Amino acid sequence: MKKIMNWLMLSCKKASELIEKKLLVRLSFKENVQLHMHKSMCSACTAYEQQSKKIDELFHKHLNGDHITISSLNDRLKQKIINTIGKN
Amino acid sequence: MGVEQFQKNPSITIKSWVEAYSDKMYSWALYKTNNKETSEDLVQQTFMIAYQSFDKFEDRSNPKTWLFGILNHKIADHFRKIYRNPVINESDRNPEAGKDFLDTFFDADGSWIKEQRPKPWPEDAHLFDNADFIKIMHSCMNKLPSNWFAVINLKYLEEKKGDLICQELEITPTNFWQILHRAKLQLRKCLEIHWFKK
Repeated sequence: MKKIMNWLMLSCKKASELIEKKLLVRLSFKENVQLHMHKSMCSACTAYEQQSKKIDELFHKHLNGDHITISSLNDRLKQKIINTIGKN
Repeated sequence: MGVEQFQKNPSITIKSWVEAYSDKMYSWALYKTNNKETSEDLVQQTFMIAYQSFDKFEDRSNPKTWLFGILNHKIADHFRKIYRNPVINESDRNPEAGKDFLDTFFDADGSWIKEQRPKPWPEDAHLFDNADFIKIMHSCMNKLPSNWFAVINLKYLEEKKGDLICQELEITPTNFWQILHRAKLQLRKCLEIHWFKK
């Protein structure tokens, strides 16, 4: 029994790593069971997982330009590009 | 000048594209890289490439899509370079750089250090629409070590698959999700300090 428990036990450090890994790749059967067990006993890692997913969603939205502000390229540079192309 | 001639003359066409799209391209590059000079360079390079490879542009495709395709390629190149040569003053950006990063979150047994233990964030369905929150998130992201920031950006730029990014950066998949793990721990902490605990 002790052997089984050891096999199943994860530290929070490892569990939070698996939470990130799971968002990117498939976990092995063992990892899945370990993570599931750990979360059922650990409210901190459960909260971490929810927050991690939230951050993922934020990255996704943010990095795809949801909050972009339009600024203008300065005219001097525009003219420089146009001039360089004109010369060729 | 007839329309036909207009389309056949690359320098005239590209000049009209500079007028029409350069602001949008610049804004996008700036949004991604958070650096004015870099963004100006990237836009400039994009137009040069567009000019040089003008014969590959088919009249029927949308110039904006084509230009942004080139620009995104250049932005990805930029992040790959940063990943390989992160900025030198890394310790300024990451105050914990001296210690093992994970030791600032977990104790020797691998349990959360008391102050770092995640507690649920309050429910807020409109969080992502809150301009103040977005500002804080932006500044938290820009405080990440530059190579982590580069990896995150590559992941979400064009929704690249993890294994492709690993190939490009020549890192192992394990290394890849470990970087994301650290980056997210750091970002989470920053959001907690500047938003959730306020």
